[in-house]
Amino acid sequence: MQLKPLATEPDPAQGPLVLMRFRPAWAYIDGIREFGRFFCKQTFGTEDLAQRATIVIQETLENAVKYSTQSPHSELELKIQVQGEHIEFSVSSLPDPAHIETLRDELVGLHSLDPEQAYLAAFVRASSQPDATARLGLARIRYEGNVELSLAEEAGGRIRITAVGKL
Amino acid sequence: MSAFEKVTLPSLESLTVEITGPTTVVLKGTITCKDPAADLGPFVRAMHEAVIADRVGELRVDVSGLSFVNSSAIRLFIDWTSWIKAMPGKRYKLQFATTRRVTWQKTSFLALQSLAAEVISVEQVD
Repeated sequence: MQLKPLATEPDPAQGPLVLMRFRPAWAYIDGIREFGRFFCKQTFGTEDLAQRATIVIQETLENAVKYSTQSPHSELELKIQVQGEHIEFSVSSLPDPAHIETLRDELVGLHSLDPEQAYLAAFVRASSQPDATARLGLARIRYEGNVELSLAEEAGGRIRITAVGKL
Repeated sequence: MSAFEKVTLPSLESLTVEITGPTTVVLKGTITCKDPAADLGPFVRAMHEAVIADRVGELRVDVSGLSFVNSSAIRLFIDWTSWIKAMPGKRYKLQFATTRRVTWQKTSFLALQSLAAEVISVEQVD
C-alpha cells in the first residue's frame, strides 16, 4: 500500500491513519500504546483523546496477545481511522476458537448495561471471584475509553474487535 | 521503625515505589506487565499485613504519579480492598491520592470507592 503523507487535518478519504501489523508479542504493547498516545495527541490535539487511546490500545492488544494461537498466520493488525466525527480503533487477531464464544458472551453482557454500570459490575465480579481472571478489560475500554465495542468474525478464523468513539 | 517501613519494595522497571513514612506509600510510573499479581501481589499483601501489625487506622497511597496501568493492575487494588473488607474487627482505611489530569485515575478509583466506600477514600491532589 502506498501511503500519502499525513496532513495536519485528518482526511476521511485517506483510509486508515495508522495501520500496523506485528507478531503477537507482549513486548510490543508498551511501545505501540505510547505511539498511539503520541499520534492522537499530535494529530487531534487533545490530551483526553490521547489518554482514551492508550486504554483502548493497551487492553485490546493485551487480549489479542493473550488469546492468539501460535500459528504463523497469527499476526495482529491495529488500525486507527477517522469516520466523520468519530475515531475507530480496531484490532484483528487469530484467537483460539474457544475464545471467540467467550468474547461474544462477554460483549452481550456488557451491552446489557450502560458503560459505567458495566464497569462497576466488573469490579464487583472481580471482587467476588478473587481466584478468577480479572475480566475488567472490555468494560474498561468501553467506559474509560468512551467507545462502543463490536466483534466481527473474518475469513480464516480471524476476529476483529472495533472500538468507536467521538473524536 | 514500623513494620510498614520495613516492607521490601518491588523491583519493576517501569515502576518506582517509595515508602515515605509510617502511613504513606508513593507509586510512580506505569504498571503494564503481563502478570501484576505475580510481580506486585506479594508487595501489596506485605503492605496490608504490615499496616495491620502497626495498628494504623489509615494508609495514604499516592498514585498521582502513576500515569498508566493495565486492568490486571487495577485488579490488585480491588483485591487489596477485598482483604480489608474481609478483616475481622477494626479495619484500616485506604486513602488514594489521585490527579484529575489522568483519566483512568478519575474513573477507576471512583469505581473502587463505590465498591467499598467504608474503607476507600479518594483525594484529588491537583
